[in-house]
Amino acid sequence: MLLRSTEGGWGPVVRAFHWLVAVLIVAQGAIGLVMVDMGLTPAKLRVFALHKSIGLTILALVLLRIAWRLTERRPTDPPAMPHWQRRMARAMHIALYLLILALPLSGWWFNSAANAPLVWFGLFDVPSLTHGYAPAWKPRALLLHEALFWLLVALLVVHVGAALWHHFKQRDDVLKRMLLGPRRKSGDT
Amino acid sequence: MRWIFVLSGVALAYGMAMPAVAATWQVDAAHSTLEFTNSYQDVRYTGQFKRFTAKIDYDPADLAHAKFDVGVDITSLDTQNSERDHAALGANFFDAAKFPRAHFVTTAFHKGAGGTVVADGTLTLRGISKPVELQVRFAPHGDDATLDVTTQLKRLDFGIGSGQWADTSLIGDRVTVHGHLVMTRAASTQAPSH
Repeated sequence: MLLRSTEGGWGPVVRAFHWLVAVLIVAQGAIGLVMVDMGLTPAKLRVFALHKSIGLTILALVLLRIAWRLTERRPTDPPAMPHWQRRMARAMHIALYLLILALPLSGWWFNSAANAPLVWFGLFDVPSLTHGYAPAWKPRALLLHEALFWLLVALLVVHVGAALWHHFKQRDDVLKRMLLGPRRKSGDT
Repeated sequence: MRWIFVLSGVALAYGMAMPAVAATWQVDAAHSTLEFTNSYQDVRYTGQFKRFTAKIDYDPADLAHAKFDVGVDITSLDTQNSERDHAALGANFFDAAKFPRAHFVTTAFHKGAGGTVVADGTLTLRGISKPVELQVRFAPHGDDATLDVTTQLKRLDFGIGSGQWADTSLIGDRVTVHGHLVMTRAASTQAPSH
């Protein structure tokens, strides 16, 4: 089936999920860093609302992405890749999935504890995780959200670094097979 | 002889020795609330002022002598969101540093549609005085009573949120205020029993 991943490469659905979530995460991180330093204006409140809406979108996309991934195989690793690197790559990808789930959840938790509104792009209310104001949990949820963010930044540096290392040093197709466009098969280089 | 004084004291305490001259009520602050509902980003939220005083003279059969006089400590605002409370008390909104108190006093009472009672009065909030009508619902139970008052205000009438904060798509203009008072008849004005 054309949409599915094969032994030789990732299917278009996986690649679309990867890049869509990647773009949203980069935008979300930038918005988050900027918004916390804004002075209190209506614009700040709207940017916060946008950050929350994008975060909920990422959460939904990641859940769909994981559900999709569970139904299909992953392409085989380059034959030259040693066993420990394969294990590290699997561990890294699982950690990334967990983080991109935990980040929006921790933000949702913080927003709930702060008793702030949560309306997805102005369209529908998203329920509170704490049944109303929970000031005792607020600082913990915020600390968790920020700690997870910086952990994600660190892991993404390694993730991108590893992809570039595969491409430029190992000269294998690990990076190319995740790129968008027509399906690339291993050995097509 | 001493028991006579004791009995007189008891009689006075229960108001048996005096006729009712006015219906003055003591408000039980612990069980009374002053709440408002507004919307923020199209989500309704409720806040309350935790400290307020209310002097209530009220007899539904004698509205000509009824009077409400309410003082509100603006700094006791609580909307269950510390950032929102902090912002609301700031200069852009209630400006509590300059206007720490709001005051409402009735000027007259009249019967509204369907026999309801309406209290006409003046609300002074953030230094601005405007006429305000309260819908009054009074429910006596012997020497206890509850008094529920409701009104609709517009925050912009009182300059709460001006300039860029006048945008009502973010913070709604309409505010519903509801006071619920739990009261006991003041000792000196208790109705003669039996």
